Amino acid sequence: MRTIAGAVLLAALAGGVSAQAPADDPAQVVGAPRGPRLQGAALESHAKEVAGLLRCPVCQGLSVADSPSTMASNMRAQVKDLLAAGYDDEQILAYFERSYGEFVRLKPPLRGVNWLVWLAPVAGLLLGAAVIAWVLRGPRHAAAERAAGQEESGSERADLPGPDALPPDRSLAPYVLRVRERAYGWPGGVSPEGPPASPAAVADHAARDRA
Amino acid sequence: MLIAGLVGVLLLNLGRDPHSIRSPLVGRPAPPFALAPVGGGAPVTSESLRGRPLVLNFWATWCAPCLEEHETLQRAGASLGGDVQFLGVVYEDEEDRVKAFQRRYGSTYPSLLDPDGKAAIAYGVAGVPETYFVDAGGVIRAKYAFPLNAETLAENLKKVGR
Repeated sequence: MRTIAGAVLLAALAGGVSAQAPADDPAQVVGAPRGPRLQGAALESHAKEVAGLLRCPVCQGLSVADSPSTMASNMRAQVKDLLAAGYDDEQILAYFERSYGEFVRLKPPLRGVNWLVWLAPVAGLLLGAAVIAWVLRGPRHAAAERAAGQEESGSERADLPGPDALPPDRSLAPYVLRVRERAYGWPGGVSPEGPPASPAAVADHAARDRA
Repeated sequence: MLIAGLVGVLLLNLGRDPHSIRSPLVGRPAPPFALAPVGGGAPVTSESLRGRPLVLNFWATWCAPCLEEHETLQRAGASLGGDVQFLGVVYEDEEDRVKAFQRRYGSTYPSLLDPDGKAAIAYGVAGVPETYFVDAGGVIRAKYAFPLNAETLAENLKKVGR
Protein backbone atom coordinates (compact mmCIF):
# COMPACT_ATOMS: atom_id res chain seq x y z
CA MET A 1 0.00 0.00 0.00
CA ARG A 2 2.90 2.26 0.78
CA THR A 3 4.34 1.77 -2.69
CA ILE A 4 0.95 2.66 -4.18
CA ALA A 5 0.98 5.90 -2.22
CA GLY A 6 4.44 6.61 -3.65
CA ALA A 7 3.21 5.95 -7.18
CA VAL A 8 0.34 8.37 -6.72
CA LEU A 9 2.74 11.06 -5.47
CA LEU A 10 5.03 10.42 -8.39
CA ALA A 11 2.21 10.83 -10.86
CA ALA A 12 1.40 14.16 -9.26
CA LEU A 13 5.04 15.27 -9.45
CA ALA A 14 5.53 14.13 -13.02
CA GLY A 15 2.39 16.07 -13.94
CA GLY A 16 4.23 19.22 -12.86
CA VAL A 17 7.29 18.63 -15.00
CA SER A 18 8.11 21.36 -17.39
CA ALA A 19 9.17 20.31 -20.87
CA GLN A 20 12.23 22.58 -20.67
CA ALA A 21 13.17 21.78 -17.09
CA PRO A 22 16.88 22.46 -16.68
CA ALA A 23 19.33 20.20 -14.86
CA ASP A 24 22.28 21.77 -13.03
CA ASP A 25 23.89 24.10 -15.56
CA PRO A 26 27.60 24.91 -14.91
CA ALA A 27 27.21 28.20 -16.81
CA GLN A 28 24.75 29.35 -14.13
CA VAL A 29 27.41 28.64 -11.51
CA VAL A 30 30.70 29.79 -13.07
CA GLY A 31 29.61 31.76 -16.13
CA ALA A 32 30.09 31.06 -19.81
CA PRO A 33 33.02 28.82 -20.85
CA ARG A 34 36.28 30.80 -21.10
CA GLY A 35 38.62 28.20 -22.58
CA PRO A 36 38.99 26.21 -25.77
CA ARG A 37 36.82 23.14 -26.33
CA LEU A 38 39.21 20.24 -25.86
CA GLN A 39 38.92 16.85 -27.48
CA GLY A 40 40.92 13.70 -28.18
CA ALA A 41 44.29 13.17 -26.52
CA ALA A 42 44.48 16.77 -25.31
CA LEU A 43 41.16 16.33 -23.52
CA GLU A 44 42.27 13.07 -21.90
CA SER A 45 45.59 14.39 -20.62
CA HIS A 46 44.22 17.71 -19.41
CA ALA A 47 41.26 16.01 -17.71
CA LYS A 48 43.73 13.93 -15.73
CA GLU A 49 45.64 17.07 -14.79
CA VAL A 50 42.52 18.88 -13.54
CA ALA A 51 41.25 15.76 -11.74
CA GLY A 52 44.60 15.75 -9.92
CA LEU A 53 43.74 19.17 -8.46
CA LEU A 54 40.46 17.92 -6.95
CA ARG A 55 40.14 16.06 -3.67
CA CYS A 56 38.00 12.93 -3.74
CA PRO A 57 35.22 13.69 -1.21
CA VAL A 58 34.72 10.06 -0.17
CA CYS A 59 38.42 9.14 0.17
CA GLN A 60 41.22 9.78 2.62
CA GLY A 61 43.63 12.22 1.03
CA LEU A 62 43.32 10.96 -2.54
CA SER A 63 42.80 13.10 -5.58
CA VAL A 64 39.95 12.48 -7.98
CA ALA A 65 42.57 11.37 -10.53
CA ASP A 66 43.97 8.70 -8.19
CA SER A 67 40.86 7.37 -6.45
CA PRO A 68 39.21 4.15 -7.66
CA SER A 69 35.83 5.10 -6.08
CA THR A 70 32.65 5.47 -8.11
CA MET A 71 32.28 9.04 -6.88
CA ALA A 72 35.75 9.93 -8.19
CA SER A 73 34.98 8.18 -11.46
CA ASN A 74 31.80 10.27 -11.82
CA MET A 75 33.74 13.43 -11.02
CA ARG A 76 36.41 12.55 -13.61
CA ALA A 77 33.66 12.10 -16.21
CA GLN A 78 32.23 15.48 -15.26
CA VAL A 79 35.64 17.14 -15.52
CA LYS A 80 35.94 15.76 -19.04
CA ASP A 81 32.47 17.00 -19.95
CA LEU A 82 33.31 20.47 -18.67
CA LEU A 83 36.65 20.63 -20.51
CA ALA A 84 34.97 19.42 -23.70
CA ALA A 85 32.40 22.19 -23.26
CA GLY A 86 35.17 24.79 -23.06
CA TYR A 87 35.34 25.56 -19.34
CA ASP A 88 38.83 26.45 -18.09
CA ASP A 89 40.59 24.94 -15.08
CA GLU A 90 39.60 27.66 -12.63
CA GLN A 91 35.96 27.48 -13.70
CA ILE A 92 35.95 23.71 -13.20
CA LEU A 93 37.50 23.98 -9.74
CA ALA A 94 35.00 26.72 -8.85
CA TYR A 95 32.12 24.54 -10.07
CA PHE A 96 33.04 21.73 -7.66
CA GLU A 97 33.85 24.24 -4.93
CA ARG A 98 30.27 25.51 -5.12
CA SER A 99 29.07 22.11 -3.81
CA TYR A 100 31.93 20.90 -1.61
CA GLY A 101 33.56 24.12 -0.50
CA GLU A 102 37.26 24.91 -0.64
CA PHE A 103 37.90 21.46 0.84
CA VAL A 104 37.60 20.00 -2.66
CA ARG A 105 40.70 21.85 -3.84
CA LEU A 106 43.87 19.93 -3.11
CA LYS A 107 45.87 23.17 -3.31
CA PRO A 108 44.08 25.85 -1.31
CA PRO A 109 44.27 29.22 -3.08
CA LEU A 110 46.33 31.99 -1.49
CA ARG A 111 43.55 34.09 -0.02
CA GLY A 112 42.21 34.97 3.42
CA VAL A 113 43.28 32.67 6.25
CA ASN A 114 44.80 30.28 3.69
CA TRP A 115 47.93 32.45 3.83
CA LEU A 116 48.47 30.94 7.27
CA VAL A 117 48.88 27.49 5.72
CA TRP A 118 51.83 28.76 3.71
CA LEU A 119 53.26 31.30 6.13
CA ALA A 120 52.81 29.54 9.48
CA PRO A 121 55.52 26.89 8.92
CA VAL A 122 58.04 29.53 7.79
CA ALA A 123 57.06 31.80 10.68
CA GLY A 124 57.40 28.86 13.06
CA LEU A 125 60.88 28.06 11.77
CA LEU A 126 61.98 31.67 12.03
CA LEU A 127 60.55 31.96 15.54
CA GLY A 128 62.29 28.74 16.59
CA ALA A 129 65.59 29.95 15.15
CA ALA A 130 65.19 33.28 16.93
CA VAL A 131 64.49 31.56 20.26
CA ILE A 132 67.51 29.30 19.85
CA ALA A 133 69.70 32.25 18.91
CA TRP A 134 68.44 34.23 21.89
CA VAL A 135 69.14 31.37 24.26
CA LEU A 136 72.61 30.72 22.87
CA ARG A 137 73.74 34.25 22.11
CA GLY A 138 71.38 36.42 24.09
CA PRO A 139 72.71 39.29 26.19
CA ARG A 140 72.08 37.58 29.51
CA HIS A 141 73.80 34.42 28.39
CA ALA A 142 76.70 36.32 26.90
CA ALA A 143 77.13 38.36 30.09
CA ALA A 144 77.02 35.21 32.19
CA GLU A 145 79.53 33.61 29.86
CA ARG A 146 81.84 36.60 30.13
CA ALA A 147 81.54 36.65 33.89
CA ALA A 148 82.23 32.94 34.09
CA GLY A 149 85.22 33.34 31.77
CA GLN A 150 86.66 36.11 33.86
CA GLU A 151 86.12 34.15 37.03
CA GLU A 152 87.73 31.10 35.52
CA SER A 153 90.77 32.92 34.21
CA GLY A 154 91.13 34.78 37.52
CA SER A 155 91.07 31.56 39.46
CA GLU A 156 93.49 30.05 36.99
CA ARG A 157 95.97 32.77 37.75
CA ALA A 158 95.40 32.55 41.46
CA ASP A 159 95.24 28.82 42.02
CA LEU A 160 97.12 27.08 39.26
CA PRO A 161 100.91 26.78 39.46
CA GLY A 162 103.03 28.16 36.65
CA PRO A 163 104.73 25.84 34.15
CA ASP A 164 107.98 25.77 36.08
CA ALA A 165 106.56 25.80 39.57
CA LEU A 166 107.64 23.15 42.01
CA PRO A 167 105.38 21.59 44.64
CA PRO A 168 105.46 23.11 48.10
CA ASP A 169 106.62 19.79 49.48
CA ARG A 170 110.27 20.11 48.62
CA SER A 171 110.85 16.35 48.87
CA LEU A 172 108.68 15.93 45.76
CA ALA A 173 110.50 18.52 43.67
CA PRO A 174 113.23 16.19 42.33
CA TYR A 175 110.62 13.78 41.09
CA VAL A 176 108.70 16.50 39.33
CA LEU A 177 111.89 17.71 37.68
CA ARG A 178 112.75 14.19 36.54
CA VAL A 179 109.33 13.69 35.09
CA ARG A 180 109.66 16.99 33.21
CA GLU A 181 113.12 16.03 32.01
CA ARG A 182 111.87 12.73 30.64
CA ALA A 183 108.55 13.97 29.33
CA TYR A 184 109.66 17.24 27.73
CA GLY A 185 113.35 16.59 27.25
CA TRP A 186 114.17 19.64 29.41
CA PRO A 187 117.70 19.36 30.78
CA GLY A 188 117.43 18.88 34.55
CA GLY A 189 113.66 19.23 34.23
CA VAL A 190 113.95 22.99 33.74
CA SER A 191 112.28 24.64 30.78
CA PRO A 192 114.86 26.23 28.50
CA GLU A 193 112.39 29.06 27.70
CA GLY A 194 110.67 29.59 30.97
CA PRO A 195 111.95 31.22 34.09
CA PRO A 196 114.44 29.06 35.90
CA ALA A 197 113.39 27.04 38.86
CA SER A 198 114.57 28.35 42.15
CA PRO A 199 118.21 27.58 42.72
CA ALA A 200 117.45 26.02 46.05
CA ALA A 201 115.13 23.59 44.43
CA VAL A 202 117.57 22.69 41.70
CA ALA A 203 120.38 22.20 44.21
CA ASP A 204 118.18 20.10 46.29
CA HIS A 205 117.20 18.04 43.26
CA ALA A 206 120.84 17.51 42.30
CA ALA A 207 121.76 16.45 45.80
CA ARG A 208 119.00 13.91 45.85
CA ASP A 209 119.96 12.66 42.41
CA ARG A 210 123.47 12.07 43.58
CA ALA A 211 122.20 10.21 46.63
CA MET B 1 49.26 30.72 22.40
CA LEU B 2 48.70 27.47 20.48
CA ILE B 3 46.82 25.90 23.40
CA ALA B 4 44.69 29.03 23.80
CA GLY B 5 43.80 28.83 20.10
CA LEU B 6 42.81 25.17 20.35
CA VAL B 7 40.68 25.82 23.43
CA GLY B 8 39.03 28.70 21.57
CA VAL B 9 38.13 26.44 18.64
CA LEU B 10 36.72 23.81 21.01
CA LEU B 11 34.62 26.39 22.84
CA LEU B 12 33.29 27.84 19.60
CA ASN B 13 32.09 24.40 18.52
CA LEU B 14 30.65 23.45 21.89
CA GLY B 15 26.98 22.61 21.50
CA ARG B 16 27.16 22.31 17.73
CA ASP B 17 25.68 19.12 16.29
CA PRO B 18 28.61 17.47 14.45
CA HIS B 19 26.19 15.78 12.05
CA SER B 20 24.74 19.08 10.95
CA ILE B 21 27.26 19.68 8.18
CA ARG B 22 28.24 23.20 7.19
CA SER B 23 27.65 22.89 3.47
CA PRO B 24 28.54 25.86 1.26
CA LEU B 25 25.12 25.33 -0.31
CA VAL B 26 23.22 26.14 2.87
CA GLY B 27 21.53 29.49 2.32
CA ARG B 28 21.85 29.19 -1.44
CA PRO B 29 19.40 28.00 -4.11
CA ALA B 30 19.29 24.23 -4.39
CA PRO B 31 21.03 22.96 -7.54
CA PRO B 32 18.36 22.11 -10.10
CA PHE B 33 17.87 18.52 -11.21
CA ALA B 34 15.80 16.47 -13.61
CA LEU B 35 15.93 12.81 -12.61
CA ALA B 36 13.94 9.77 -13.67
CA PRO B 37 12.05 8.03 -10.88
CA VAL B 38 12.60 4.42 -9.87
CA GLY B 39 10.12 2.29 -11.79
CA GLY B 40 10.05 4.60 -14.81
CA GLY B 41 8.08 7.69 -15.73
CA ALA B 42 8.71 11.28 -16.64
CA PRO B 43 11.72 12.96 -14.97
CA VAL B 44 11.00 14.82 -11.77
CA THR B 45 12.52 18.28 -11.70
CA SER B 46 13.35 20.55 -8.82
CA GLU B 47 11.34 23.28 -10.55
CA SER B 48 8.19 21.21 -10.21
CA LEU B 49 8.70 20.98 -6.45
CA ARG B 50 8.69 24.69 -5.67
CA GLY B 51 6.00 26.02 -3.39
CA ARG B 52 6.44 23.72 -0.43
CA PRO B 53 9.38 22.50 1.62
CA LEU B 54 11.41 19.64 0.20
CA VAL B 55 13.27 16.92 2.09
CA LEU B 56 15.81 15.44 -0.32
CA ASN B 57 17.38 12.26 1.01
CA PHE B 58 20.38 10.66 -0.74
CA TRP B 59 20.43 6.97 0.11
CA ALA B 60 21.39 3.48 -1.08
CA THR B 61 20.24 -0.07 -0.37
CA TRP B 62 23.78 -1.09 0.66
CA CYS B 63 23.91 1.62 3.31
CA ALA B 64 23.00 0.30 6.79
CA PRO B 65 22.43 3.77 8.33
CA CYS B 66 19.98 4.44 5.47
CA LEU B 67 17.94 1.44 6.59
CA GLU B 68 18.13 2.78 10.13
CA GLU B 69 16.44 6.06 9.17
CA HIS B 70 14.14 4.53 6.56
CA GLU B 71 11.15 4.05 8.85
CA THR B 72 11.41 7.57 10.28
CA LEU B 73 11.43 9.07 6.81
CA GLN B 74 8.62 6.86 5.52
CA ARG B 75 6.42 7.70 8.51
CA ALA B 76 7.10 11.41 8.03
CA GLY B 77 6.51 11.08 4.30
CA ALA B 78 3.11 9.54 4.99
CA SER B 79 2.04 11.95 7.71
CA LEU B 80 3.50 15.22 6.36
CA GLY B 81 3.31 14.43 2.67
CA GLY B 82 0.60 17.01 2.10
CA ASP B 83 2.75 19.87 3.38
CA VAL B 84 6.28 18.71 2.78
CA GLN B 85 7.61 16.93 -0.30
CA PHE B 86 9.85 13.99 0.54
CA LEU B 87 12.09 12.63 -2.20
CA GLY B 88 14.83 10.03 -2.26
CA VAL B 89 17.81 10.14 -4.61
CA VAL B 90 19.47 6.79 -5.15
CA TYR B 91 23.23 7.00 -4.70
CA GLU B 92 25.54 4.53 -6.46
CA ASP B 93 23.02 1.73 -6.60
CA GLU B 94 21.01 -0.33 -9.08
CA GLU B 95 17.34 0.15 -9.83
CA ASP B 96 16.43 -3.53 -9.33
CA ARG B 97 17.93 -3.57 -5.89
CA VAL B 98 16.09 -0.35 -5.02
CA LYS B 99 12.79 -1.84 -6.18
CA ALA B 100 13.40 -4.99 -4.09
CA PHE B 101 14.25 -2.81 -1.07
CA GLN B 102 11.08 -0.75 -1.49
CA ARG B 103 8.95 -3.88 -1.81
CA ARG B 104 10.45 -5.26 1.39
CA TYR B 105 10.53 -2.13 3.55
CA GLY B 106 7.85 0.00 1.91
CA SER B 107 7.97 3.41 0.31
CA THR B 108 5.63 6.34 0.85
CA TYR B 109 7.39 8.77 -1.51
CA PRO B 110 9.31 8.52 -4.80
CA SER B 111 13.01 7.88 -5.20
CA LEU B 112 14.90 9.21 -8.20
CA LEU B 113 17.78 7.65 -10.10
CA ASP B 114 21.08 9.49 -10.47
CA PRO B 115 23.07 7.06 -12.62
CA ASP B 116 26.00 9.36 -13.41
CA GLY B 117 26.07 10.87 -9.93
CA LYS B 118 25.68 14.43 -11.25
CA ALA B 119 22.96 15.35 -8.78
CA ALA B 120 25.01 13.92 -5.89
CA ILE B 121 28.03 15.95 -7.00
CA ALA B 122 25.96 19.10 -7.49
CA TYR B 123 24.66 18.76 -3.92
CA GLY B 124 28.12 18.02 -2.51
CA VAL B 125 27.26 14.53 -1.32
CA ALA B 126 30.22 12.78 0.31
CA GLY B 127 28.47 9.64 1.55
CA VAL B 128 25.04 8.34 2.48
CA PRO B 129 22.73 9.05 4.09
CA GLU B 130 22.74 12.79 3.53
CA THR B 131 19.56 14.82 3.69
CA TYR B 132 18.97 18.34 2.41
CA PHE B 133 16.17 20.53 3.68
CA VAL B 134 14.99 22.96 1.02
CA ASP B 135 12.44 25.67 1.76
CA ALA B 136 9.41 26.49 -0.36
CA GLY B 137 11.42 29.09 -2.28
CA GLY B 138 14.02 26.51 -3.34
CA VAL B 139 16.79 27.58 -0.92
CA ILE B 140 18.74 24.94 1.01
CA ARG B 141 18.33 25.62 4.73
CA ALA B 142 20.08 22.60 6.25
CA LYS B 143 22.14 19.54 5.46
CA TYR B 144 22.18 16.53 7.78
CA ALA B 145 24.79 13.82 7.28
CA PHE B 146 23.65 11.10 9.68
CA PRO B 147 20.63 8.81 10.05
CA LEU B 148 17.64 10.95 10.94
CA ASN B 149 15.36 10.14 13.83
CA ALA B 150 12.03 11.73 14.71
CA GLU B 151 13.73 14.40 16.81
CA THR B 152 16.44 15.46 14.35
CA LEU B 153 13.96 15.36 11.50
CA ALA B 154 11.60 17.67 13.39
CA GLU B 155 14.47 20.05 14.24
CA ASN B 156 15.52 20.32 10.62
CA LEU B 157 11.97 20.62 9.34
CA LYS B 158 11.62 23.73 11.51
CA LYS B 159 14.38 25.32 9.43
CA VAL B 160 12.20 25.02 6.33
CA GLY B 161 9.13 26.39 8.04
CA ARG B 162 7.55 23.20 9.37
